[in-house]
Amino acid sequence: MEWMITADEPGRTYLMQGNEAIARGALEAGIRFAAAYPGSPSSEILAMLGHVAEKMDLYAEWSTNETCALEACLGASFARVRSLCIMKQNGLLVVGDALHSASLSGVKGGLVLVVADDPSAHSSTNEFDSRHQARSAGLPMLEPANMQEAKDMVKWGYELSEQLQQLVMVRTVTRINHGRSSVSLGELPKEKPDPVTIGEWDRMVAINWFKDAQIAKIDQAKSIFETSPFNEYKGPEEPDMIIVTCGTGWLYSSEAVEALGLRDRIGILKIGTTYPLPEDFIVKHLLKTKKVLVIEEVDPFLEQNIAGIIAYHPELQVELLGRYGGKAMPRNGELNPDIVRNTLARLTGTAFTGPETAVIPPEEAVALPARELTFCAGCPHRASFFLLKQTLRIQEGQGVVMGDIGCYTMGGQRAGHYLYNFLCCMGGGINAAEGMGQLTRFGFKQPVLALAGDSTFFHSCLPGLVNAKYHDSNMLFVVLDNSATAMTGFQPHPGIGQTAMGKAAEPISIKKVAEAIGCPVTVADPFDISGTTSKVYDLLKQPGLKVLILKQECATLVVRKREKPRVWVDQELCRGDDCGCGRFCSRIWGCPGNIWDYEAGKAKIDEVVCVGCGVCISLCPAGAIKMEGGGACG
Amino acid sequence: MPGGMDLKNEVFQSSTCALCGACLDWCPYIANMEDHLVMRFDCNVGEGRCYAVCPRTYADWQAIGDRYLPDTPRNIEIGPYFNVFRVKAAAGIKGQQDGGTVSNLVKTIMEDELAQAVLLTGSEDHVTPEPFLAVDIDDIEKAAGSRFLASPGLRKIIEAQANKVQKLAVVGRPCQIQALRKMDFNRRPDKPPLDLITIGLFCMWSLGWDFNEYLQKNFPGEKILSLGIPQHGFVVKTDKGEHILPLDEVKKFNKAGCGYCLDMTSELADISVGAFEAEKGWNTVIVRSAKGQELLDKAVEKDYLICADYPEEELNRLKGASIGKKNRNLNNIQAAFDKGVKPFIDLNSEMYAQVRKLAEGMVK
Repeated sequence: MEWMITADEPGRTYLMQGNEAIARGALEAGIRFAAAYPGSPSSEILAMLGHVAEKMDLYAEWSTNETCALEACLGASFARVRSLCIMKQNGLLVVGDALHSASLSGVKGGLVLVVADDPSAHSSTNEFDSRHQARSAGLPMLEPANMQEAKDMVKWGYELSEQLQQLVMVRTVTRINHGRSSVSLGELPKEKPDPVTIGEWDRMVAINWFKDAQIAKIDQAKSIFETSPFNEYKGPEEPDMIIVTCGTGWLYSSEAVEALGLRDRIGILKIGTTYPLPEDFIVKHLLKTKKVLVIEEVDPFLEQNIAGIIAYHPELQVELLGRYGGKAMPRNGELNPDIVRNTLARLTGTAFTGPETAVIPPEEAVALPARELTFCAGCPHRASFFLLKQTLRIQEGQGVVMGDIGCYTMGGQRAGHYLYNFLCCMGGGINAAEGMGQLTRFGFKQPVLALAGDSTFFHSCLPGLVNAKYHDSNMLFVVLDNSATAMTGFQPHPGIGQTAMGKAAEPISIKKVAEAIGCPVTVADPFDISGTTSKVYDLLKQPGLKVLILKQECATLVVRKREKPRVWVDQELCRGDDCGCGRFCSRIWGCPGNIWDYEAGKAKIDEVVCVGCGVCISLCPAGAIKMEGGGACG
Repeated sequence: MPGGMDLKNEVFQSSTCALCGACLDWCPYIANMEDHLVMRFDCNVGEGRCYAVCPRTYADWQAIGDRYLPDTPRNIEIGPYFNVFRVKAAAGIKGQQDGGTVSNLVKTIMEDELAQAVLLTGSEDHVTPEPFLAVDIDDIEKAAGSRFLASPGLRKIIEAQANKVQKLAVVGRPCQIQALRKMDFNRRPDKPPLDLITIGLFCMWSLGWDFNEYLQKNFPGEKILSLGIPQHGFVVKTDKGEHILPLDEVKKFNKAGCGYCLDMTSELADISVGAFEAEKGWNTVIVRSAKGQELLDKAVEKDYLICADYPEEELNRLKGASIGKKNRNLNNIQAAFDKGVKPFIDLNSEMYAQVRKLAEGMVK
């Protein structure tokens, strides 16, 4: 069977993941260019487009960061090629400058920016609501409520973008990106236009002279949205209350109204064009009621824009309820059908008599132990954090550690022995360290370290490294190079040697880059705990900027590549609870491969989970952990 | 008996640690680099072997002496002993300092299989110490000469146990001999006793590892061949020549933990060996147990060592030096206790009162 995202079967319905539907929508729009930086929940989209790029006659790249991605799309758009840019909500903040500038220059070929929000920050450091950026930059934004709309809105986004000559944003949330529902396919274009010649006097320039044009475009978008089929009202003509909702809130609200039997009392006003709001359309419907409840993910964005409309329309006499103030609805965190149903039941004085969702009878309920995030078995980061922690203790100078964003962010928790003192955003660690490292002139004595992964190094550490070198900050910059963008699913980055389209590329050496900037670089193996501890110890004694690359490939990749050695505990040698170490291997070292054999009272290896990195062998004081067979590491 | 966190608070953080190494390698919580010894992570084990073996946690040293040297005549100045001799090697061993006594005692142990392994300390660069388990006569040469930097050599006890060494000989500093005795004294009843021959060294102090940096800074590019204190001054021999450092300059690098040591002559060893100040080429040997006497006799029988009477005035000088160290460091200990360091000896005991009295007498 042909993969559904490229299937030439108009009208056929498939069960599709939201991210598949977005990719399909872009293909139906005939894109020839796609660029993204990975980040959950958006990562699958470009991976899929890269996979089908050659077949579908398009170019796809994992850009070095989101700004590279968006500006690359602007370049393609200049030549009237349709392009898709994809990122998560954090990435949208990275492109803030580009976004606000591009809205002045506008676009030529259709450019749709899909930004995937992560309510409750399941896989992010924050749950920033990307809709604020659409409003701030003055860009139209669409918000799909299901997978079909995700496909259709992306496709229509190109028509809108070319009609307005403006960038169009599509905001999704995790449950749209990663959920699945029926999607009816549209037609794939038979031909795609080639790039046009850029004439001598053609311009795409972002400058404030074009502010009026930008305002005109957003006003035009508003009038188009007044009649958009993505906005609809369903419900009685004189409802007790109208729920205004967008995105996943629409499904939750529809289900709640149905479950509470409120179809005759409550109307639902679904908004698919989140910014700018179709003002007349909204006023027309809100005139029907005295009470409005807004249901939306993350911030009270829709709610407060409606509050603005109400302020300009004294004919509207409504009580407005929503997430603002946290009274009607929780102020933060992801919504779900239960929260919405319970809110609605409370506000309408309706009792819910049906079964609670996923309620386990008390006699069957099992108390789950609290589990922290941790590194995978054999993860080089575990060894890196272990040796950095012990070096800082040995060094006795109370080193300060600036963290960064990636799998190793978990090093701020127990998995990394709570090593971080500081965490901000991608590239934030090296800059904070640069600043603190300058304080030695005022008598600040503590060693300062910054950590970053290899993908983060390319993404946002290069200006920071140049800055730290040029100003000779007293700091140690540690690159945790696991040869992977592991957190988001192994998308290639410039150090890897492969592109999103599966082509070979010349990998860029982090060591050479750092050396070219003028930094002394040490490369060490984090699996050599004692040897690398000595190296870090020595580096911390030296003044100025030092770079240390802790290089060891991500265990998840290694285990796919090589024959796994067998690691086991010789329980004769294991001292059990006599070790005096309180089960150091399974408890403190904390690799999921090191477990406790409660029957024998001795340590044990979970041979299914263990990937055979062998680090615990060097840590066991009794020499009880043994290894045999398998291919070489690294 | 308390655990690791108590060791951290009472010993590591109060800088009383002598860097003997007894707590190391048994437990993965305790990490070492150069002369730093730290807890990697907070340990929640209530009763720790680490605490039980440490020479700087509380011990009744008189009771320990009574257990291990029960028949030896007591002496307040240099510890229990049967005899003191001056001793030297009949033929030299390459790299030896003073009389070559220790090297020949070790050689005797190996030849007569009195132990399966000997814990020695060598040094590739002649400065930084590297403890190792010697099993071969050729290994002895690697340990010839004196080390002035402290090293946590007793960590190797764990390696010896893992290698199933039943009988072990140890050449160690006074703090290390103390730790070995304490290790056995506090051992759990279900564990077998340690079968040891202990050769204790005389020790006034050890140096911190920052002394190494000092040497590198002062003699850049020079390869160090040996360190020693032949008479007065600290002699650094390098490939470029000989440098003499004032002893007071070197003493600035003394390990803080050595300032709390009341033992100059390894008073709990089977046999103690140190310099013989009156004549170059000889050692002072204190025999403290039957085992120690037997070892010395064998080495003499084999014609490895020549043993002679010890001059009375030299013995008095030795005792005076020992009392001097005890008295100085009793003052340090008192000051530390006053500052809140948890007492690790009973300062009010009769023994220490006598030390003070003897020291006073010396001043007069």
